[in-house]
Amino acid sequence: MSPPVTSVRVADIERYTGTPKLMVPAFGLGVLGLLATLAGYFATDAKGAAAHSYLLAFSYWAGISVAFLLMLCIFHTAKAKWPIVLRRTMETAASAVPIFILLLLPLLLMVKDLYSWWPGSPLAAHIQGIEAEHLSHKQHGYLNPTFFYVRQAIYFGVWVFVSWRMRSWSLKQDETGELDLTVKQRRFAPGSLPFLALTITFASFDWLMSLTPMWQSTIYGVYYFSGSFLAAFCVLTIVTTNATGANLYGSVVKLDHFHNLGKLMLAFVAFWAYTAFSQFLLVWIANIPEEAPWYGLRIFGAWRPMSIALFFLHFVLPFFILLSRNLKLQPRKLSVVAVYILAIHAVDLYWLIWPALTGTDGPSFHWTLVTAFLGVGGIAVGFALLQARNRFTLPVKDPYIAESLRYVQP
Amino acid sequence: MEATVLDSWVLAEFGTPDALVDATRQMREKGFQGMDTYSPYPLHGGSEALGLPPSRVPFIALGGALTGMCTALAMQTWMNTYDYPLNIGGRPLLSLPAWVPITFELSVLFAAFGIFFGLLALSRLPQPYHPVFESDAFRSASTHGYWLSVPQATGQDATAVMDQLKSLGATQVTLVTGEKE
Repeated sequence: MSPPVTSVRVADIERYTGTPKLMVPAFGLGVLGLLATLAGYFATDAKGAAAHSYLLAFSYWAGISVAFLLMLCIFHTAKAKWPIVLRRTMETAASAVPIFILLLLPLLLMVKDLYSWWPGSPLAAHIQGIEAEHLSHKQHGYLNPTFFYVRQAIYFGVWVFVSWRMRSWSLKQDETGELDLTVKQRRFAPGSLPFLALTITFASFDWLMSLTPMWQSTIYGVYYFSGSFLAAFCVLTIVTTNATGANLYGSVVKLDHFHNLGKLMLAFVAFWAYTAFSQFLLVWIANIPEEAPWYGLRIFGAWRPMSIALFFLHFVLPFFILLSRNLKLQPRKLSVVAVYILAIHAVDLYWLIWPALTGTDGPSFHWTLVTAFLGVGGIAVGFALLQARNRFTLPVKDPYIAESLRYVQP
Repeated sequence: MEATVLDSWVLAEFGTPDALVDATRQMREKGFQGMDTYSPYPLHGGSEALGLPPSRVPFIALGGALTGMCTALAMQTWMNTYDYPLNIGGRPLLSLPAWVPITFELSVLFAAFGIFFGLLALSRLPQPYHPVFESDAFRSASTHGYWLSVPQATGQDATAVMDQLKSLGATQVTLVTGEKE
């Protein structure tokens, strides 16, 4: 459909050495952000706000990293050839997962100010009578610190193992070009998908849903996944658009690849809306006292404008913008939409998390929202760039790389 | 028979899709217009080689979807709120969330109708008769042949066009004439 942007040949691409230019500022920003957030937690009275801000930042960036891992495994499962030129970016982003083990530690420091079910939490005072009994009898088997730690170890064990295997096979192929490594990736990826799906689901239950321990929704994990997966496509689009320069894969990517990324963004904007509405409709129509308050807090009173705005700004607006074929064929403009969606995804997580803090008082702003976001983001991006240092920016010896570069729209 | 009620085409068969797309592009660059390509399956780069304008089907689909959306919302509002108000579980009579599934379904249905019938109308299908059917060799377009048709003024000498197509790699060329639609 379109000629390659330039006449760069894969054989001419060498290892990329320019990462420190971005990596050093990212780490710097990350460390400053984290220190400021921790100062906000330990040195001020707004312990709850700092803890919830940190949780937002953590679940935002960890979700994107895990979503990249799922994306990588899904493409391998489908034996998809067109995204191979983009695959190293997915592998790099997914291999940022181990840093979130370290980033989980501040969360564990603040855990009492997040989860009312945590023993000794000051928030437990709000839970009384029959609710307290329910919590201690029915839910104690799941919501207790020991099992919480065990589960975090399982999640990160699965994520680190899968991302490490996938990436090390792919990197080895850069050296040897062994065809067998492709077979291994394609066999390992489908097998890992059920584990990835279950771990991200239960991670969302633990990190986010247990903010309101009395409320359960089985689709919550899919909701968190859909937003994170959409955000991962946005990150991929932005990186690919800006990866132009010597030895960067952006110079060999075709417009057809961007068109596909745009189409996937459109699809997952719709998927997010589908999931979000499925969850809402079931709770709303059943109107059961156990379930309704979570939505009651959000769709009435001070949170109502934000809930309505989220429907229009997270679904209607990006959906109609992304319908345009011309837009999807213009990488710069598509990246602007991607940045917008990344921003509204943060608002979506805010909408999930913040009502647990402020309740009926409605939305509020705290400066740790910014510092935590930049802190976790800076460290995560810096760590991903560290993985990309002195590597090829695309799988140069993948047996299908030529087909991927010749890709035309069906 | 008078020439005014007749249409003519030069038909050329090519061995591969690439040869067809290539020849189409070159013929268009030479200034031929109103050409069409025929292949047993969708042709990569075919519409670009023909220089076709962007398809109008997406707008028909959008129109269909919006019509479906409005129809569904109006229908449910009329039936559940005014014509036969029914109290279901104490919810308000005008309960928009409950109407979303039907609205979604009807939008999809109308969009699908729009695409299906819009595509048929824009392609002027079904077409029980077309002069190119006069050529028996052209039947291969539905199995293994890649064909290009070039409009030709009826009664004029087509040798020049046929020679050009042959020089572009056509494996066979033929002239068909038939009644206008």
